[in-house]
Amino acid sequence: MAAYVCTRSFINKFKDSIRFIPRRYRVKTKWAATRPKFPATELALHNFDTSYGIQLRDLWPSIRVAMLCEQKYGALINSFSSVPNAIKDLEAQGCKDFISIDCSRNEVHQPSQDYTTSHRDSTELEPASLQPSISPDIKCLVFPQGDISRFKPARPDSSGILGYYLLDAASVLPVLALDVQPGHTVLDLCAAPGGKTLALLQTHSVNYLWVNDLSGSRTMRLHRTLQSYLPKEFLDESKIHITSTDGRHLGITEEKSFDRVLVDVPCTTDRHSAMVEENNIFKRSRTKERQKLPLLQTQLLLAGIQATRRGGYVVYSTCSLSQLQNECVVQQAISLAQQELGITVQVQDLRWFAERFSDTFHFAPQLNVGELVLPHLCANFGPIYMCKLHRMN
Amino acid sequence: MVRWMWRWSVCRVAVSRGHMPFCSTQQEPHNANPSHTGQVTHRPGNQLTLCSLLEMGFSETQAKEMHECATNSRGKHVPSVLTALLLLGLNPSSILKIMQKCPEVYSLKGADLQQRVDHLRKMGLVEGSLQRMISHYPKVMLLPIKRVNMVSRLLREKCLFTIHQVTEILRDSPEVLEEDLAELEYKFQYAYFRMGVRQPEMVKAKLFRMSLSELRCRHCFLERRGLYQTPDKKGQTLIVNPPLKDVLCVSEEAYLAQVAMATAEEFHVFRKLMAKEQEEEGREDEYSSDEDEELGEDKDDEDDDDGVHRRKRHWKTGYKKDRK
Repeated sequence: MAAYVCTRSFINKFKDSIRFIPRRYRVKTKWAATRPKFPATELALHNFDTSYGIQLRDLWPSIRVAMLCEQKYGALINSFSSVPNAIKDLEAQGCKDFISIDCSRNEVHQPSQDYTTSHRDSTELEPASLQPSISPDIKCLVFPQGDISRFKPARPDSSGILGYYLLDAASVLPVLALDVQPGHTVLDLCAAPGGKTLALLQTHSVNYLWVNDLSGSRTMRLHRTLQSYLPKEFLDESKIHITSTDGRHLGITEEKSFDRVLVDVPCTTDRHSAMVEENNIFKRSRTKERQKLPLLQTQLLLAGIQATRRGGYVVYSTCSLSQLQNECVVQQAISLAQQELGITVQVQDLRWFAERFSDTFHFAPQLNVGELVLPHLCANFGPIYMCKLHRMN
Repeated sequence: MVRWMWRWSVCRVAVSRGHMPFCSTQQEPHNANPSHTGQVTHRPGNQLTLCSLLEMGFSETQAKEMHECATNSRGKHVPSVLTALLLLGLNPSSILKIMQKCPEVYSLKGADLQQRVDHLRKMGLVEGSLQRMISHYPKVMLLPIKRVNMVSRLLREKCLFTIHQVTEILRDSPEVLEEDLAELEYKFQYAYFRMGVRQPEMVKAKLFRMSLSELRCRHCFLERRGLYQTPDKKGQTLIVNPPLKDVLCVSEEAYLAQVAMATAEEFHVFRKLMAKEQEEEGREDEYSSDEDEELGEDKDDEDDDDGVHRRKRHWKTGYKKDRK
């Protein structure tokens, strides 16, 4: 049957620019004459039902419905911008900075917040009192639980720098877990599109940031994002180094160079794959690519471990629920690092971290390794998996 | 002529019932029970009196209330209306409740009312169901016969319900008579195509009692949770769908606890999100009303699903296996 070429492709183009299109409708109708017979989104959902139904059992229906509904965003405040009252305006709409709220909530219970283990004079001898503090400079505002309001687009200040960046609030958690200290050199191995990179820069602790992504076009997009959010002086080569190479090579060329490494690997992007048809990783033509993902992820994590200095930390994160891409990759990377490279890596317990943010996010109970933010209608963030590793030698 | 016929029918019933009082328009006690004739107050015109109300069987307080409301309504034929209601076999307290629920009935003409009631009888509403329907949904008496016919025709011709099923629908969900015809058809199509439910199940589940938004909410919640699938061409699904009556005929609490197995908070947030989605979809449809036509092109050679008229729409579903 001949394709029905019509003028509505022009109308669609015009329509796109003037209103918000729900992502579930984003099919390239200007090229497709019919809708796909087996949409990749359906293939994705089928895949999820099969694997996550077993893995998550009773939790899966709630997660599934949340992933198929509009996700919730957070506004990452850009401290480089001089938009007046950006925070106050957002707070007036009802948002709150979940980081300061969740952290201060816990501080009420702990009199001391020390790194050293010797400080045990508090009557409450919870492990909570020994926990490191979380970077207070990162601010991310979200609407309360159950509130489905949307954020308005960020406004630029007098120099054209935007006031905040909209992203999945759970994406900030791996950056918080990374715990960048002042003067650190940081590597962001798979940085595009740049949300986590921006969050890293908000800590104001990064001495030198190496930002990398495999895809040239996505690196360009990342570069443009940074230009929209950072004043020119901060985009200096000596402060931020942007490359577009295969992250696996950086493990060898930049061995033991970084205090902190963030490995936010390419994954099946579960929420995205369930809703958006365009270039979906579950479409049949990308099956091989998808099946090779865990291997690629393991290699990237290994490279990240190699690039970490002794005593440094690596945070591995994905936006998938799949055990194969999460815990299995971490465990495989740890054993490979030991056996093939002689590097000892220790998993850091992040239960205290999950506890701290349990008012804002729904965490999966009792994972073997790492923490997993589950989408839930009342807190429709995630899925985000993260695991913190400590390089011992 | 009509009045004569009315009086005649009144008389017949009077004989059988034995205590039927007449409104003041009657000039002669025609076949009436002799014990009652003396008390009828003769007043020219169709005006209601307290006395006649009392004779009809209303208590004093009831009569007073009715009289007041009747006068306020400025209805000109109240006595004939009341008589028609009494003819149905409704007792005075039921009638009072009806009038309280639906004071517009005062403004009707007795003859019209009688015609409409007879028409409903012709539609298959037998004694018992008819009275129950009128008691629960007195508005039905305000609807012209033409309207009732239009709805009935839609249900039979476009939705392919049998006459028997149409009667059941009218009996269980009389509000269907007031619904916009296009929306009524859409609701049916939603259940038929999107949910894969057939007519007998729809009737059993009293589909038309529920608003479209609530139906869509409960269905999509289940579907997105993975607990409901649209059947494919052969009517098959990978999971067993819950029966429609288990989804619709239960309270929200029961639905959440037994079918959806979710918390109330989740459902309330979901409802808000659905409302937003529908609102945005509505705005999209404003711009792209021609889009559906083109999409429908390639569906022409599909067999016409048991003859039901398929509206050319594309619904985003979790699992619609739309094989050609």
